[in-house]
Order: sequence, then structure tokens, then C-alpha cells
Amino acid sequence: MPEMATETSESTETVGATDRLVGHQTVERLLGTSLYVVSGLLLLFLWVPLAIIIFLAFAENAVTIFPFEGLTLDNFRLALRSDSMRASLVGSFTIATVAASVATVLGVLASFALTRYRFRLREVYRTFGIIPMVIPGIILGVALRIYFQNLLGILPGFATVVLAHSLYGLPFVLLIVSARLYTFDESLEEAARDLGADPLTVFRDVTLPVIAPAVGAGFLFAWIRSFEDYIRALFLTGPNTDVLTIWMFSRIRQLDAPELNAVSAIIVFGIAVALAIAMNVGNVTGYVAGTVTEEEE
Amino acid sequence: MAADEPDESARARAVRLLSGPRSRLGVTVGPSAAWILALLVAPLAFMIAVSFFEVSSLTYQIIYEPTLNNYRSLFDGGGAIWNTPFVTALWLSYVIATVTTLLCLTLAFPLAYLLARSGGRLFKVVIFFVLLPFFTMYLVRAYSWVLMFGPGGVINSTLMSWGLIDAPLGIFNYGIPAIIVGLTHAYFPYMLLTLYASLDGLDFSIIEAARDLGASRVEVLRDHVIPLTLPGIIGGSLFVFVPSVGAFITPTFLGQGKVQMIGMLIESRVAGTYSIGYASAASMFVLVSIVGAMVLAFRYVSIEELGGA
Amino acid sequence: MGGDGTTTINIITWEEYAEMQENIESTLDGVELNITPSTSSTEMFSQWSAGQDEQFDIAVPNNNLVPRFIDSDLVAPVNQDVVNNYGSMYDKFQTFVDEQFTVDGDPYGVPIRFGWYGYAYDSRSVPDHDPSYNILFEEDYVDADLGGEIIMYDEAAKAIPAAALYLGMEDAMSGSRMTFTEDQLTEIQELLIQQKPRLQGYIAPDPTFIQEFRQGNFLVGQSGRNETVQMRSEGDDWVEYVAPQEGALAWYETAVVSAASDNQETAWEVVNEFITPQNGAALAEAGFSPSTNPNIADELTEEQNELYGRIDPARLEGMYSLKDIASDVEEAYVSAWEEVKAA
Repeated sequence: MPEMATETSESTETVGATDRLVGHQTVERLLGTSLYVVSGLLLLFLWVPLAIIIFLAFAENAVTIFPFEGLTLDNFRLALRSDSMRASLVGSFTIATVAASVATVLGVLASFALTRYRFRLREVYRTFGIIPMVIPGIILGVALRIYFQNLLGILPGFATVVLAHSLYGLPFVLLIVSARLYTFDESLEEAARDLGADPLTVFRDVTLPVIAPAVGAGFLFAWIRSFEDYIRALFLTGPNTDVLTIWMFSRIRQLDAPELNAVSAIIVFGIAVALAIAMNVGNVTGYVAGTVTEEEE
Repeated sequence: MAADEPDESARARAVRLLSGPRSRLGVTVGPSAAWILALLVAPLAFMIAVSFFEVSSLTYQIIYEPTLNNYRSLFDGGGAIWNTPFVTALWLSYVIATVTTLLCLTLAFPLAYLLARSGGRLFKVVIFFVLLPFFTMYLVRAYSWVLMFGPGGVINSTLMSWGLIDAPLGIFNYGIPAIIVGLTHAYFPYMLLTLYASLDGLDFSIIEAARDLGASRVEVLRDHVIPLTLPGIIGGSLFVFVPSVGAFITPTFLGQGKVQMIGMLIESRVAGTYSIGYASAASMFVLVSIVGAMVLAFRYVSIEELGGA
Repeated sequence: MGGDGTTTINIITWEEYAEMQENIESTLDGVELNITPSTSSTEMFSQWSAGQDEQFDIAVPNNNLVPRFIDSDLVAPVNQDVVNNYGSMYDKFQTFVDEQFTVDGDPYGVPIRFGWYGYAYDSRSVPDHDPSYNILFEEDYVDADLGGEIIMYDEAAKAIPAAALYLGMEDAMSGSRMTFTEDQLTEIQELLIQQKPRLQGYIAPDPTFIQEFRQGNFLVGQSGRNETVQMRSEGDDWVEYVAPQEGALAWYETAVVSAASDNQETAWEVVNEFITPQNGAALAEAGFSPSTNPNIADELTEEQNELYGRIDPARLEGMYSLKDIASDVEEAYVSAWEEVKAA
């Protein structure tokens, strides 16, 4: 609580009034710089391991930095030539796209209900809607596995993974799209309705264009969550389902570093490009942080 | 939805569906509610049921006779109740998850604060470099730490080659510290983004006013910033704590087989001997603690705030 | 299962079997192999029992699990007309099949390759000594500080027998199954827990073992023969591999065909291909473990033969083959290992 001020936030140094070792200005500056320093160190922390993988992807010595043997593109060639790598890449791509599409459709519809209609079990629904995102992957994976295999007699395979991932992606779409809908100006829709448009037209011509970036962000999130998932896929894929993360895990177990590093580097590059585009074209950052308001559109 | 040449009856039907409040509710909530019921609620309910049934070790089929044996075996073992593999693994998981959450919180707060205060290009650049690891595959990030740790890993060899240490430091060995670092690295972005969303909505003029009135930095932090960003703190902690409890990949990679968290225990029981009865019973405990964490969290924050609205 | 005439055979087996895939697919017309790598025989069994025997045609578990497959009616008898390389196998393995995998006169598995678990050590730091499990469990067996420099295999089926043999429990290891009493399991468990602080860790995958050995992360490690053979063939002549005097643990991977498979005859053809001299040699080159068919020696160089081509199965005398745990103590066995891992 505000004290009777013996210190001020002004940057004048009061001679003799205080026994400070350092003046206010210096403290301010120190704090300011240390904030930057801490943040810089954190970014370093986030990035060093990835940078090492990318570096090793170009190196002859696949697993350790020392001794350093020289740069090469062979690892990439090796990885891209691998049939199993390509098969699992395609597999994961397909699974992610199907699952994310389902999650997006379901999620967008539900977001409308959550934000606009009051219904009795709304809070319950909202809670359960979040759970697939929060529950540890092991538990969801095991639960779905025994559910499919023991109760429904469906053996793990393509269908089971897609179903699991569509559930897993749903909360992301829900959170992002409903956050957007909260700040959506419904008067636009009212205006359209006053002019005689039916609900479908209103949605297609008025609402959808405005919330499209949020829907896109939700889809992207759900897609990436599916693409990078390992633990749920582990329990729900069959021998014929090709999934990239499982391929990568077996490479890690076999310490087949060259291919693995190269594939990891390719993924990082691919996502960097996609993210840069998304950030400039749409306000992805805003949706990720959920703070976009209509004025910032 | 609408096609260019709409089929009159289909469109009319759709419009009618969307006109009445009840049917509108049905159309919007219905599909996803059905999805959640069929793919989340039912499996979890089945899992609860299975935890009360035993599985024949010969045929691996469920014997539909209610029993408490699974729960009993969780606490059975040579010695005290708190020494069984299950309890040890569960306790260890909680501890590791808590430390990871606190670490994420203290590390992410300054960065989130900085991001909330800055704007423009610096913001975009920093966010880009924060989001990028977030969007790369978790497996890749976990793997990257495997190369770093260990007596012969990158950290030790770099420090040794720079002459800073003579022999590999034990702290950089695989084990619990390595796992905590790996988990912090993995879930840091969740905490950062949630905190940022909270801080972004903070009215900094309040802070400045308090400072003008003579409050110290600590007081401002304690009395203004933290209460206002509490939803973000709680939400972020939830997003870090819960997955960390059930972590599997990171402790497998970074524990060198010596550390067993509850996720690994459950996985080994299912993959190895398909003891889904035991695994289900163990999962129940984890689920209960998660529900508890969520209930606790939702006293402080509502779901809308989780999304940052 | 493959359209327009191709049959897809789904196999769950060890990683190296993929080396033979191209050759087998070109030898057998219209056959496509889909190999799912596994790192655990127990995993193979539990997957098949849980229902995935319908999704796979062939599995190649270690010998200790095969009786379980048979008891659970998961596998089909060997089609001896098709598996014509069967007769070329070492007599020893044909005897093993007769003794362990034959029911009512029908054999149910075909051994593919074999090896044994002992331990490896870095001869630059560890002095010569009488091979014994003592080195893993006793602090002063050799004149070197091994604290934190020991690796045990990360699987109950390898670590527990090692502890048991050290403790002198040969009787329990000498039947068709491991028949420990609960007291014995407790003793084993305590020994392993006591050992834990001196361990660098538990490792299973061969590449991890090899890399960490090279990096100097440990000096003594319980391992199979193939890891060390690989290392020596790649130039690491400081690796010594020994079979402890208490008894090494012998294994032989055995191919079985699912009784639920639609393509049993084709599956047996594929199995037959596993033990042709050519494929057997390729497999040995990839996995550094010898094939059960001695004729692979014709396909390998003299140096390779010494390492993994011509290994006399008579060396398996005096070793204890990997065994399944007796079903009445299985729960205690699994818990004991979990307790060790949790300590």
C-alpha cells in the first residue's frame, strides 16, 4: 500500500536523504537490462538444444559435436531417400489433416453454442471440452486403447488414431474460436438479418469471413498437435499405420542420428517458414495468446 | 453449407434447423457433445470399470468379476505402503511436476512481462523465436536434450574443452535433474503464452499509479500484478503440471532407466504384460489428482480466461 | 492385405530383420513384407494375446516366450514342406525345438539366430579377471573403482537371472521355467536395489549401449554378445566380452506364425527365407549374431565367420537359456522388477 513517500519513482537523486548504494536511475536501468538479459538467456535455453540438432544435421559426426568432422548434406539425402520416412511422413500428414478437420468442424459449431446460448450443462460441457488437452497422453492413450480393443473390438489402426487425434484437437479449436467469438460484434449479424438474410447466409457472408483467421489458427493448432503426438499414437496405431513420430522414436532408439537430425532440421525449417508466413498474413500470435480484439483485425 | 446452386429443400431444411433455438443448440453442440461422450466419457468410464476387473494373464481377456485386487496390488509390495513402485512413482511424478511448474513460472514471468510491455518488431521477433520450438515436435525437443546430457554429452564435453571443468560433472548426468530440465524446456511455451495473455490484459497505468504513490516494486508485484494475473498463473500452471505428472517420453530419454515416473509405469504395464487392470487402477489415481487440480484451478479462473478472452 | 496379387505379410520382429526385406521380396514373387520393429518379446506376446494376432502373420520372440504363444493357441504348427531349410539348422537347435516347442509331434517354431548374455568391460581400465557376476555386484572384485560405471540390462528377463545366478539359485533356473520362490525374488530384489547406487543406469537398446560405452559413460555392462562383436568389428579392440562362470544366458529367437493368419503358407515361406544362407548371412552382418544355419559361413569372410558366422552352438552348453517365469510367481516377479526400477 502506498507509504508516505520516502522514495519516489522520479529519477532525481536525493543527496543525503537516502543511504542507497546506487541511485534510482541505476537501479531502474539495472532492472531493465537484467530483464532483457534474463529473457535473452531464456531464449537461448529454448534454442540451444534445437540449434545443436540443426548443426549436427549438417555435420559428418552425427552424434557428438566433438570431434568435428566437417559439413555435409548427406544426412538430408539419406533421410529423404528413406522409404519408411516418406511413408510415415505421408501417414502423419493424412492423419493430422483428417483429425484436425473433424476437430475444427465440431469445435467451431460448439464455440457458437458456448458463447451465445445459455444451456443447462454449459459449464460441464466446457470442462469436458478442455479435458482432452489437459489429460496426460498416457492416460488418454491407454483409456482409448482398451476402449477400442476390449470393449468395441476395434484393433488399433488408422481409424483409432484419427478418432483419438480429433478428440485431442477439439479443445484447441474450442478455446481459440470461442475466445474470438466473445469479442465478435454481433450487431453485424443483426444488421444482416434485418436486411433479410437467413442464418446460413449470415454465417457464410458475415460471420465466417470475420472469424476465419481464428478458425484457421484453431485448425493449425489441432493439426500440429496431431502431427507431433507420440504417446497417443503409440497406443492407437497398428502395424500398418505409418506415423512420423513413431518412426522418429525408433530412429532414436537405434541412434540412427543422421537421418533423425536431418528430419528434425527439415521440420524446424518447414515450421519456421509456415509460422513466419502465418504471422505476417494473419494475426496468429494474437490467436495463440488469445488477445485479439476486433480493432486489431 | 450453401452451394452455388442450392438444392432448395436441403437449404430450406438447414435454415429451418437453425431457426429454432432448441434445434440450433442441437446442431451446434450436438455433434461435439456426441464426440466427447463417445470418445472421452465412455472410455474413461470403461477404464474406471476395468480397474475393478482382473485380466487373465493367460488369455489377456477381461474377467468380468468385480474385485478390488487391482487397487490392492497398487499398494502391495515388500515393505511399507508408501514404498511400493506405484506410490513411489506417483509421488516422484508429483514432485517432479511441481518443481517443473515452479521453474516454468519463475522463468516465464519475466519474459512474459517483457513481451507484454513491448510491441512492434521486437515483440514479433521474440514471439517468433518462442513459438517456433513450441511448434516443432516434442519428440525432437526431448531428443535434443539427450545429446546435451550425460558424462559424454555436449554440456560436459563443451565445458571440458573450454577448460572450465576437469571431469564430467555429475549434475549433468542423466537422472532427475535432467528430466526436470527437459520437462521445463518442453512445457515452457505453454506457461509463457498463458502468462502473456494475462499480462497483456493488464492495465499498466495502475502499476505506474501505484509506483507514483510510493509503493515499492515488491509491493506492486505482490499487491497488483500477481492478483491481476492470477488467472494466467493458475492456468499456465495447470497446463504445465498436469502433463508433467504423466510425462513419458522425457523421463524415458533422460532418466537412463533409473527413474520411473507414473506414466512410464503405466506404459510398461500395458505394453509389457497388458495388465490393463493394474494400469487402469493406477490411472484412476492420476485422474483423480488431475480433477482435483482442475477444480482447484477453476476456483481462481474461469474457462474463458483460460482462453485469454 | 495387398491388392492385385500381392500378399502382404506383417511381421513383428527385431530391427535388423529389415536387412533381409529387399532380398526376400525379390526372391518370393508377389510377396510384400511389412516389418514392425519391436524391442521386447514380451511386447510381441502381449500384443498378440490382446488381439493383434489377427494383424500380424509372423512374430520372432525369444525362445523363452514361445511356450506361452503355444499355450495360448496363438500359433500354427510349422509347415515342414515349406520350411525346407529346417534340416540345415544345427542339430542342437533342432533338438531344442523337439524339446521345447513341440506339442503332439508338431513343432511350432523355427529358431532363426542365437547368442548369449554375459558382460562386457573396458580392458583399458578394468584389469583381467575371472569372468563372474561378482564384478557387477561386488565392490572389490577387481582392482578398479567401478562406482557409477556399471550398466545392467534394462529388462527383468536379463537382470533378474543375472542376480539369481550370482546368488547361486541354479535350481530355480534349471527347469523349463524360472521357478523362484517369493523369498528368492525378495532376495534378488534387494540385491538389485542395493546395486542401484553403483549403476550408471539401465540400458536396453544396443546402439545406446555402444554409444555410451564409447563415450566412456561406463566401464562394465551386462550385454549380449552382438553389441561387443559390433564394436570390435568397428575397431574398438578395447572391448572384452565374457561369459560369467556362474552361467551366461543363452537365447535363440524363434519365428512363429499366427494361427489367425490368412497367409500361413506364405508366412512359412518367408520364415524359410530367414534361414537361407544368403539371408542368414545378411542378418548376421546386420545384427552381429550368428544364424542357426551353419551354411551362412559360406557367404561370409573368414574374419566375419570368426565373429558371427561359424559359432558352434556347443558353446551354449553350461549356459542357462532364457526362460519364462513360472505363472504362479509371475505377479511377484513383475512387482520385484518394478520395485527395483522405482527404488
